[in-house]
Amino acid sequence: MATTEIQSAVQEAVVGALGVGEDEATPDATLMDDLGAESIDLLDILFRIERSTGVKIQASDLGEYIQGGIPDDQFGDENGIVSEQGLEQLKKVMPQIDPDELRGKLEAEKVITLFTVGNLADMVAARSGGASG
Amino acid sequence: MALPANSSRFRIGVDLVGVDRVARLVTDHEGALDELFTEREQAHWRRKRQRFQHLAGRFAAKEAVLKAFGTGLRQRMRWTDVEIISGAGGRPEVLLHGEVAEQARRRGLEDLDLSISHAEGLAMAQALAIWAPER
Repeated sequence: MATTEIQSAVQEAVVGALGVGEDEATPDATLMDDLGAESIDLLDILFRIERSTGVKIQASDLGEYIQGGIPDDQFGDENGIVSEQGLEQLKKVMPQIDPDELRGKLEAEKVITLFTVGNLADMVAARSGGASG
Repeated sequence: MALPANSSRFRIGVDLVGVDRVARLVTDHEGALDELFTEREQAHWRRKRQRFQHLAGRFAAKEAVLKAFGTGLRQRMRWTDVEIISGAGGRPEVLLHGEVAEQARRRGLEDLDLSISHAEGLAMAQALAIWAPER
């Protein structure tokens, strides 16, 4: 499946699940903060993507993808702040973030709020075996 | 009486969800029930009259528990790791499985209480987690 098809499928899923306009569901829009998605909406989006692309992603896969398999106690410090190793991982899957700006203050449980429509499309592309970006 | 502004021993989690929203999710997507609810939860749900209201309450409860853990749905955690059953007198009780149970053990979960309510097409749940004191 071509990258542009995946991007369209993801945008369509976001628009359908959240009832937002196509002009709002842009690649750089964050799903939770900008578009107001809650966890039940994320599930809806993932099921819609599965239906249109055949790529199955479970809600828990999002955390796995974002955290890159780094154990919780290494991803965040004892206060729940994302570690240097965690920031390096986040930069891989969320290239839009600025680690310098987030260093020492990004709570691990808030990481998902930075995940964008474009990041989700990249994840779907990676899972479908297609090129991302 | 002075109270600490924030105690890491006690953490609450609250969730509010529309009954229609949950109904639409499980009706539109064939796999949603299995991803969200254990076989036991589904069997219990099928016996209920206010099915979707019940289901929405259970969903809110799972969310509330994960919020009380302070993690949300992190890697390897599944919705079915948090199972809500009806205890004595119909009071909801929580059974933890998989990665969520492992987290609870690792971080020293001492107690977990839960309450669910419904009104006006909405379901709400509140969970309280009590953790072992930090050493």
